[in-house]
Amino acid sequence: MNTEVADTTNLSEKKDFLVNSSSLKDVRSFSREVFEKFKINEELREELVLAIAEAAQNIVKHAYKDYPDTQDRMAVRISCTDKELEISFFDKGKPVEKSKVKHRAIDDVKPGGLGTFFIQEIMDSIKFKEGDKPWINNLVLTKKL
Amino acid sequence: MIKFKVTESENISTVFLDGEIDMDVADNVREVVFPLIDSGKEVHLNLKGVQYMDSSGISVIVESNQRAKEKNTKVELKEVSQPVEKVLAMARKFL
Repeated sequence: MNTEVADTTNLSEKKDFLVNSSSLKDVRSFSREVFEKFKINEELREELVLAIAEAAQNIVKHAYKDYPDTQDRMAVRISCTDKELEISFFDKGKPVEKSKVKHRAIDDVKPGGLGTFFIQEIMDSIKFKEGDKPWINNLVLTKKL
Repeated sequence: MIKFKVTESENISTVFLDGEIDMDVADNVREVVFPLIDSGKEVHLNLKGVQYMDSSGISVIVESNQRAKEKNTKVELKEVSQPVEKVLAMARKFL
């Protein structure tokens, strides 16, 4: 884990992971560890871990849909001020088509899109950006504290 | 990682799940649960030992219910842990 800044008002931790479903448990472990360090309350912590895991899962499932055996890595950065939490994801997969990122109609009983719905329920904002090189995609989630 | 224990009574198969259910293990859960549903027995999923579940776990539950309907049987959730109940509550707004 790389601590970028470590004072009491502006904290930031970043770690990279192999883009693979087997990495998702490591993403959760990292997130829990960081939130404990940042003293985020336990109830919110688990919701945030879910949102992060769903976003990481979307990278594996969608950005790397055609490359299940990729050796690429994705990075997760969690930054915290006393007012806001910012969680950034960086990957080199297929560029995100923003218009396609939505949860589906409520009357469709298939579960697909539920992960995106969870992210929207838990977080205050979701922004897709072009990643600075070498990254292609940069997803930024924020939550007011 | 997820562990399974299956117990059988006359008309009910109970699957005790222990661990975290995510995309990485969802297919393992399907491989255990779907054949039990296909056999026509009522299936109980005991979630007492599941401390984390994401949308992949919800997908398995929804698919299990749909499959059970097709086989004229049913799937019930038993002893749902608090973390899983929270995720289910959020999913109910959507499903």
